[in-house]
Amino acid sequence: MSTSAARQAGRAASIEVRDLVVQYGNVVAVRGVSFSVSAGEHLTLLGPSGCGKTTTLRAIAGLEKPAGGEIRIDSAVVYDGRSGAQVPPERRGLSMVFQSYAIWPHMSVFDNVAYGLRVRREPQGEIARKVGEALELVQMGGLAKRSAAKLSGGQQQRVALARAFVFSPSVLLFDEPLSNLDAKLRAEMRIELKELQRRLGITSVYVTHDLEEALAISDRIIVMRDGVIEQIGTPAEIYDLPRNAFVADFVGSANLIRGRRRPELDGDGLVVLETAGGALVHGVAHGRGAGGEAVFSARTVHLQLSRERPAAPRNVWPARVRSRVFQGDFTQYHLDWDGRRLVLRCVTAEPVAEGTEVFLSLDPRHCVLLEE
Amino acid sequence: MSSVPTHRPLSRRRFLQAGAGLAAWPVLRRPSRALAQAPARTTKVLDFTTGADVAKAEQEGEVVYYGHDGEAAIAALLEAFRKDFPKIKTNYVRLQTGALYAKITAERSANRYLVDVLQLSDISPAIDFQKKGGYESYLSPEYASYKPAYLSTPAGSFAWVGVTFAGISYNRSKVKPEQAPKTWKDILNPAFKDGISAKLATSGMQHAQWYMLRKLYGNDFWQEFAKQRPRGFDARAQLFDRLAKGDDRVCALAEYGGYTLFKDKGADIEFVAPPDGLPATPAILGVVNRAPHPEAAKLFMDWAVSNRGQSVYQNTPLLLYGSLRNDAPPMLTGKKLSDFKLLFPSDWADFQASHAAFVKEWNSIMGL
Amino acid sequence: MATASRVRSWRPGPSLVSLLVGGGAVVIVFYPIVYLIQASLSVGDPQARPPEAYGLANYAGLERYAHIFWNTVLVAVVATALAIALGFVMGWILSRTNVPRREVLEQLMALPYYVTPLMGALAWSLIGSPSGGFANQVWRALGGEGHLIDITTPYGIAWVMALFEGSVAFVMIGAVMKSMDPALEEASQVLGAGRLRTMLKVTLPLVLPGVLGAAIFVFAEMLGSFSAALVLGLPNRFYVVTTAMYQLVSQYPPRFPQAAAMGVSLFAVMFAMIYVYRRIVSRGSYVTITGKAFRPRPMDVGAARWALFTVCLVYLAIAVLLPVLTLLYASLQRLATAFPQLSNFTLANYVTALSLDAVRSALWNSLLLGAATAGVGVPLMGFLSWLIYRSRLPGAGVIEYVLMFPQAVPRLVFAFGMLWAWLVFPIPIYGTLWLLLIAYLTVFLPLGIRTISGVMLQIDRTLEESAQMCGASWSYRLRTVTMPLLRPGLIAAALLLFIASVRELGASILLMGPKAKVITPAIVESWFSTSTELTAAMALLQTLAVAIALVLLFAVARRASRPIGE
Repeated sequence: MSTSAARQAGRAASIEVRDLVVQYGNVVAVRGVSFSVSAGEHLTLLGPSGCGKTTTLRAIAGLEKPAGGEIRIDSAVVYDGRSGAQVPPERRGLSMVFQSYAIWPHMSVFDNVAYGLRVRREPQGEIARKVGEALELVQMGGLAKRSAAKLSGGQQQRVALARAFVFSPSVLLFDEPLSNLDAKLRAEMRIELKELQRRLGITSVYVTHDLEEALAISDRIIVMRDGVIEQIGTPAEIYDLPRNAFVADFVGSANLIRGRRRPELDGDGLVVLETAGGALVHGVAHGRGAGGEAVFSARTVHLQLSRERPAAPRNVWPARVRSRVFQGDFTQYHLDWDGRRLVLRCVTAEPVAEGTEVFLSLDPRHCVLLEE
Repeated sequence: MSSVPTHRPLSRRRFLQAGAGLAAWPVLRRPSRALAQAPARTTKVLDFTTGADVAKAEQEGEVVYYGHDGEAAIAALLEAFRKDFPKIKTNYVRLQTGALYAKITAERSANRYLVDVLQLSDISPAIDFQKKGGYESYLSPEYASYKPAYLSTPAGSFAWVGVTFAGISYNRSKVKPEQAPKTWKDILNPAFKDGISAKLATSGMQHAQWYMLRKLYGNDFWQEFAKQRPRGFDARAQLFDRLAKGDDRVCALAEYGGYTLFKDKGADIEFVAPPDGLPATPAILGVVNRAPHPEAAKLFMDWAVSNRGQSVYQNTPLLLYGSLRNDAPPMLTGKKLSDFKLLFPSDWADFQASHAAFVKEWNSIMGL
Repeated sequence: MATASRVRSWRPGPSLVSLLVGGGAVVIVFYPIVYLIQASLSVGDPQARPPEAYGLANYAGLERYAHIFWNTVLVAVVATALAIALGFVMGWILSRTNVPRREVLEQLMALPYYVTPLMGALAWSLIGSPSGGFANQVWRALGGEGHLIDITTPYGIAWVMALFEGSVAFVMIGAVMKSMDPALEEASQVLGAGRLRTMLKVTLPLVLPGVLGAAIFVFAEMLGSFSAALVLGLPNRFYVVTTAMYQLVSQYPPRFPQAAAMGVSLFAVMFAMIYVYRRIVSRGSYVTITGKAFRPRPMDVGAARWALFTVCLVYLAIAVLLPVLTLLYASLQRLATAFPQLSNFTLANYVTALSLDAVRSALWNSLLLGAATAGVGVPLMGFLSWLIYRSRLPGAGVIEYVLMFPQAVPRLVFAFGMLWAWLVFPIPIYGTLWLLLIAYLTVFLPLGIRTISGVMLQIDRTLEESAQMCGASWSYRLRTVTMPLLRPGLIAAALLLFIASVRELGASILLMGPKAKVITPAIVESWFSTSTELTAAMALLQTLAVAIALVLLFAVARRASRPIGE
């Protein structure tokens, strides 16, 4: 297996997208998006529905005609907005797994997977071998002869996957491939996908609206909203250092604390904001925010709840429990603080009753200044 | 007593002229251009004489016939021909005369020549076709048995293969005996309003009746008839079908042949021959110019005007024409043509010229 | 960059093909229309070709035919109302209630389409002629006066039209009802409204846009109706535009310019109607039929199920059984009457019919032509549907418009234009079956494309896109993915085209030649020139032959449509 992986890894391509604009009639779905994907990397486009991530993916695939910009695959131009030149999808050497799997019901599993090889006129023996290997990789080995119309959702998904990589494309595109599966299956498939991608070493561009999926499998994530890129970064970067309020709240749940800068109180590498209610909040700036007003993002899981006052020197405030929501693995508390509501999540322990006066504390390193 | 179209009387002078011409024949050796070519060679086949090359006709293998009789009637006619000449296939188009003529002129104007022989029930389009050179100039040897009045002028374009004439017919169970029509004026009786039928403007027979009754009773006659709100149809079969079933009470254009047929089928109908006469129209057959199967066409023509063909026209129940051959036997019913007072137009040119006016007036009478 | 390293042979790109096809379609569809308009503008000698002078005099002269236009509209309005009412009731019964044997009934609902409008008109003429009709004879025998029904009135004609040409209303309304969200009705019932009230206050308003669209479409079709008016109207001096046109060109001298002017007027009205229809339809409801449709849960109507079942059976009896039995009854008599004596029965009509060479050759020609129309039409229209709805080629919208154009033209009018046009076309196909084939393919373009594209649009686009992503060219995709998936729809379209071709009257009656007779106009000719009984026999022979052909076709198609790999 590793030899074939090595052979295939050598064919992975890089992608470069510059100032991409895609329109549907009067609606601009993608407004000038630029990014690049290096060979062998797994990049995820993440965002709510309507943000343009699928459109961007399909533009890379060649299934949508952009209105402007440039797309290169391995430095060869496949779309050029200035000249209008566009290479059709079947000639870009890409491959795609669709949200609906798009398995052809009138063919067998074998024929579905072998399609791309047959198009490329590979010899019979080679086809049989490669299809066999691919099916083994997705654990569908024994079902080659089965009619594709008789597969379950999960099985279809695997066949779609096998079909996509069997002919060793240079890039694999995924359009929300797991969204039609139930939660348990989704979690399992996530891991399998990650391993597969590692093994094959193919460049992957992945579209999803599911945060956990994106964080689990990506090398880098692009968060999109309304046709523009909000932030590009590794999963950790996106999570720990969200650029703005949208990213902060989309990637995990966050509390946004607005306040006035108190530069005279800065020290120890920390900055201080004073809230409207007079509370002082210490956090890290990471080189952001020079203005008078700023916003901190504090993740709900980073806030700490205690009945007695904790010993920390900074970022300790009194608060009152407003409501408590039991969520199984964790419990969510809504607290009254500083004349507003804060949300806190913690591992479920002894429940704290509503109305209890408690203390909130927050490690300043987990309180991040947002770019405005 | 049938009235015959005006024809230059055979004066002594003409007879001598013809005779002189005939005597000069071997000397002149060139036929006058005014006359059609007599066929170079005639052969006897079955029991008639033909100027066609029968072997060639059979080689051509087909004859295309355009006619106005009912489908089954045409089928019977062509079936009889096929029995005599099994090697020659037959194909036909059936449309009422007006529609038929419209079709053939449209085709020819677009250089499509599909027709071998053409039969019409109105002399107007026939004369028109002759003027346009649509007929082949062919003198059938069988023409000798016809008076010149029953051929084209000059001879060689077409011949009258039969005569049909019409009176009035009514359904006995629908019409009280005291109301029964006796003369032509009776078709104007308001008692028959919304219950009287005739043919459409495409019909040659209808044109003849329109013309003749106008001459007899004045130009307003048909406007009075319009008040009856008459119903128009395409073929005699339809007229008698409805009359027999009682859908119409009276038929104002009841062809004798149609009446005979339906009476035999058991219909409760009566035929009236008004004393002023019965409008008649010939069935006119001619060989078409530039026919796709010229020899077969000539063969068919000869057959049709011979005794053999004429007996088919006269005796087939669906046709029942009266034959105009000099030696024709009586019709199926035992009557001869001379037993009826037939009305023909005296001035064929005037008759032909009236066609356009007829179509216009008749259409509006029929609600179009 | 391309992954296939083999040398590619040059294949015509889709743009070139669509240009050729689109160009061909434009010529075939518009050629007759252009000639039609030219004929209508011809003033001066009506026989001159090309016209010697142009002007609008013919349109001005249409005034004297005002009563004919009025007749046409009257009949079309009544027929549409009847067809929509029938279609709504039957559609509601079969898609929203739990009437027993629903699937079987739905299949049977297609039968009136096979009983062609001509047969229906003939049969109802036998039943409802004011004097000789069977129903009226029975009425009088029971002591009634005069007649019970008069099928030759405008309302009678409209009834026959609705019964036999209005089945498309049922299909369209049924489709609208099937795509409705059942939760809306259930909400109404949960809130306490009874079933009838639910139907009136919830179902009806929801389907109203769809029903309205269907009504407009059906109205446009009724404007161009020919068979019923020909058989039933002509004997009663009742003309509609199509029959008037037919009369005008059938006489000598033919009045082409006036007929053309009438045709253009009718076509203009139909065009406007179809335009309005497409505006209504394009507002979105069309798309819900594609992809993931709702699975409507039928309403439980309790004991009324059997009453509704009876209603369906009664409808089928009136629309199918009654005409066939009537024709059978008439064809076996010498002179058809409701109370025949034993001596009146005969087989002579069948003997005659079978012996008539015209019948045999016309029947053979019709079957041949039907097979050709289906055989050529299905691949052609399949390709055109793909071109319009899937290929995303430039100009697809224009091509769609052009190909749907014949829908706005009454078929007789179209044939008239073709007659006029093809008479001067250099290729000598006038008077042959080839001309009829071309005419049929042209006038059935909307029907075939609509049927096939309906199936095509239900196929998820991603099935073709994934083939693209595997590297397949457009022709490879078409062959390996699109066509196999379309097969059931293609077969349905083939059967539909076959039947439509055999039952066609308006287009064929003007274009027949001596060697190119087809059965439906032949039956009409027989109606006009022989007896009713013989005509009835011919009509039944046609039905029998077509039924046999259909069964054979269906069996062959079933065999061919088994999925690959099973």
